[in-house]
Amino acid sequence: MTRTNLGPWIVTYAALAAMAAYNLAPFLWMLTSSFKTDMEVTQIPATILPHSFTADAYVRIFAQEGFLKYFLNSAKVSGATAILSATVGIFAAYGFSRFEFRGRTVLIAAFLASQMLPGVLLVGPYFRLLSTAGLYDTHLGLILAQTSITLPFTVWMLKGYIDTIPVEIEQAAMIDGASRLQCLWYCILPNILPGLVATMVFAFLLAWGDLLWALCLITDPDKQTMTLGITNLVGQFRVLWSDVMAATVIGCTIPACFYLLLQRYLVQGSAGSAVKG
Amino acid sequence: MRGETTTPYWFVAPAAIMLVVILGFPAVTAILESAGLGGKTGFPDFRAYGRLFTDPQFGATALNTVIFVGVVVTMHVVIGMAIALLLNLEMPGRWLFRVIAILPWTMPDVIGGLIFRFIFDTLSGGVNAVLLRTGLMAQPYDWLGHPHWSLFAVIMAEVWRGYPYVMLILLAGLQAVPRDQYEAAAIDGAGRIRTFVSITLPNLRTVLIIAVVLDIVWETRLFGMIYGMTGGGPGYATQNLSLFVYKNYFQFFETTYASSIAVVLAAVLLAAAMPYLRLTLRRQD
Repeated sequence: MTRTNLGPWIVTYAALAAMAAYNLAPFLWMLTSSFKTDMEVTQIPATILPHSFTADAYVRIFAQEGFLKYFLNSAKVSGATAILSATVGIFAAYGFSRFEFRGRTVLIAAFLASQMLPGVLLVGPYFRLLSTAGLYDTHLGLILAQTSITLPFTVWMLKGYIDTIPVEIEQAAMIDGASRLQCLWYCILPNILPGLVATMVFAFLLAWGDLLWALCLITDPDKQTMTLGITNLVGQFRVLWSDVMAATVIGCTIPACFYLLLQRYLVQGSAGSAVKG
Repeated sequence: MRGETTTPYWFVAPAAIMLVVILGFPAVTAILESAGLGGKTGFPDFRAYGRLFTDPQFGATALNTVIFVGVVVTMHVVIGMAIALLLNLEMPGRWLFRVIAILPWTMPDVIGGLIFRFIFDTLSGGVNAVLLRTGLMAQPYDWLGHPHWSLFAVIMAEVWRGYPYVMLILLAGLQAVPRDQYEAAAIDGAGRIRTFVSITLPNLRTVLIIAVVLDIVWETRLFGMIYGMTGGGPGYATQNLSLFVYKNYFQFFETTYASSIAVVLAAVLLAAAMPYLRLTLRRQD
């Protein structure tokens, strides 16, 4: 970068600043609105910047609307989904990565293709299935449903990480008498730990952001997830936007923090293998 | 590694069985239901599929979906490519812009929908506030109450929320372009545009196909964003196929019809995903 040619850099920074403003504007609108008073948030036309700050909306959604419960429900369902899909997924990922066997390609294709199915195809039959099994309107049913979405990509992502570990480590271990399971536990797991954590966080966030499954499989208000609770706030007759925005701030914070921490792994999920070339 | 004939199956079995039970089974049930065989046996009856051709609401919904996906994916690629090229430059402060660039995508789609519903709200929305306060408009306008403007608003919202992922894939692709090719182009005296067309684009081909295919699949089956923002309205002006299936199944209890739409949607998505599936599977051998 030479001093003589500043023009392009000014253009670059100006373009990036415009991008930042575009990306941040809805977030700022959400944040500032959540701190407005009832009077101000219903003012016409709306104030662009709040005149006075109050945390009333946050107090209300936690004290009156039960958002602490929704928050915990979401955390429980998403956490269980992440653990379940990673636990089942790691074995399949290892199998796909380390073995040649009949039906391997077909199975991999099935795992990949299943990621393309629309949720609305599955949710109706799922509703019937869970009703028959007595799992309708339970967190367990919702966790299983979320796992049907997260499992295929979990397997795929973990396989990508295991592929990067040299087979020689395991061969050495097996000569020393280690079993396959021991190889997985002692040779693979420690080496892919960051990838495993990233995969689990993605599964967690996928379940966290879901609306469709919770909407169709949960009716008990006490079992509602975060996204469902927020949506139902708006379904009411009069929308108090400061409350809704306070709830969305809380719903957004966890994913935003996790994603930013995991930036490095973001692309890996569904497109990683192609990008790696 | 040879000599282990059954071992791989033990590893793969739990996930494969789970896939069959929680994914394969519902998918097959949906197909059966679409043929009028939900909960009973007998002869398949495909009349629900015939209804697709005569139902004007299905036609309008399919058109909405095509317009929505077409515009959104195009904008994602254009904006995503522009930002990826900028973020690929070495410069001070790049990490900060990268962080900001990803933010919209971290937002759960239904939350994005609700925020934009508020932004386009008639009385207390941000868009009207800006237009009224700058004097560009005399009366508040009901953006989400107008069929065309509401579709436009929903498209704007999803363009905003979804482009960072396309950008990230393209950025990863850009970073994989071999440097010596750029150096060779520079030696040959190629300008910026020439370099982009002859070096960057051909190298990005695979990555671009993957980004576009995945984005098409995601935007086509999008549910939460539209449910939160307009619920498909006004009328069915912003309704997409996912929402149409949901409403038919869970609100009108037209389960056979809903399943037939869902099966068609699934078939279209699988067909659209073929280039991605083929590319990815080829790399497995």
